[in-house]
Amino acid sequence: MTDAFVILLATIFVNNFVMVQFLGLCPFMGASQKMDAAIGMAAATTFVLTLTSAVSYLVEHYLLIPFELEYLRIIAFIVIIAALVQFSEIVIRATQPMLHQILGLFIPLITTNRAVLGVALLNVRHAHSFFDSILFGLGAALGFSLLLILFAAIRERLQFADIPLPFEGAAINMITAGILSLAFMGFTGMS
Amino acid sequence: MTDLISGLILISTMGCFIAVLLQYSAKRYPEQIDEVVIAINNLLPQTQCAQCDYPGCKPYAEAIANGEDINHCPPGGEELIRNLAVLLGRETKPLDLNFGETKAPSVAVIREAECIGCTFCIKACPVDAIIGAPQQMHSIITEDCTGCELCLEPCPVDCIDMLITQDNLAKTYPLHLLKPVPKPIKSTEVSPCIRCGECEIQCPKSLAPHELYFQRESKTAMEILDLDACIECRICDRACPSHIPLTRIFVETKQRIESEKEKSIAANTAESKFLAHEQRQNQDHKKIRTRASRDDRASILAQLSKNNSGENK
Repeated sequence: MTDAFVILLATIFVNNFVMVQFLGLCPFMGASQKMDAAIGMAAATTFVLTLTSAVSYLVEHYLLIPFELEYLRIIAFIVIIAALVQFSEIVIRATQPMLHQILGLFIPLITTNRAVLGVALLNVRHAHSFFDSILFGLGAALGFSLLLILFAAIRERLQFADIPLPFEGAAINMITAGILSLAFMGFTGMS
Repeated sequence: MTDLISGLILISTMGCFIAVLLQYSAKRYPEQIDEVVIAINNLLPQTQCAQCDYPGCKPYAEAIANGEDINHCPPGGEELIRNLAVLLGRETKPLDLNFGETKAPSVAVIREAECIGCTFCIKACPVDAIIGAPQQMHSIITEDCTGCELCLEPCPVDCIDMLITQDNLAKTYPLHLLKPVPKPIKSTEVSPCIRCGECEIQCPKSLAPHELYFQRESKTAMEILDLDACIECRICDRACPSHIPLTRIFVETKQRIESEKEKSIAANTAESKFLAHEQRQNQDHKKIRTRASRDDRASILAQLSKNNSGENK
């Protein structure tokens, strides 16, 4: 039980996928303009990440290893991720049409979110068990959601701030992300 | 070689399996775009002027939901573009001047002495705001007129004028360049009100002025807290230790809510009238189409005359 807790906390804070391992920066910058959109994006990514880590474990251990096809790992995982993303897009479009309008292209872009493939591949490298894989995926997703929502909140405030002209737009976002990353450096070595 | 073949088989079976699952889920969860269209349509000005190259406001709302640009509506102007950008999370941009310029809100008026009663403008009006009959003088119902200017062009004697009803400085100002307005004050932010409750004690109508002040942006909260009961006596102004001009704020809030209400009522009537107009026109088209064509009529006449001659014999 403590092991599970350690994995979860470590992936959320110490080895945060966005701020420490620099995975999944594209949606982190792109989908954090508005709080609503950020929350929707976080939920969609959490769904995809957790399921991906479960399904990729099953595919790895019951398809790829028995047939000695480990060299197909990346392709197989990408196919799984793409399918799950498509599924979540269909569900969002049917249940939350407004959110689908706001997120637009960013939902299919979860497919190319490095964090998703990263979790699947890191699971294999760390030789996690099935349960640990799911926890690892969930932790990564929660860490990503935390960062995305934090950053969206900061950006909503930045809109009202009086920023010097040369720093407006992308520049101030980069600076903010850098400072956030510094803050997460504080957790290094705690596990 | 066997590796390659088994890899191919594995990936293609996975692909087929996933394709079937996705097809099924797409059937199971059909796309629902209505909610978005309704939300967009509520923001559009409902002038039904067709300046956006769509036949009315609803078709344009559908087009926006499917990815059309949000800057094709001159009557809505910059304000509409801003609202749509917030709703849909898109970028604001200036109005596309190819579709016309934003003009001050206006209504059409017929110079009735010059009207020849041709009924062309009646057919052109999308919201049935013109009354009249052939060879009779026509007149415009001002309350129903949306100022779309669609009646100007068909009039053969140019006897229709546009009268400006109110100036709109806001619409000529480049609103899209402004930063978004801060959200209404939340209780966690610094505010001059310290919630001492002094105003509530002194209010002759037993309202809660401090609560009204905090929630002034929310229409439903104003209804619940009964802003309309405020008699604007200014006692709360004097009671307030932070000298917040409460009464002035309440009057402004009342005016804002009232004008919003009027605008939405006008938009709703325009929309329903436009729908009725459309429906009636479709029926007219159907009637015309169900009439027999020239050849059919000839054959029917021949048939009839044959029958008649047969009876005569």
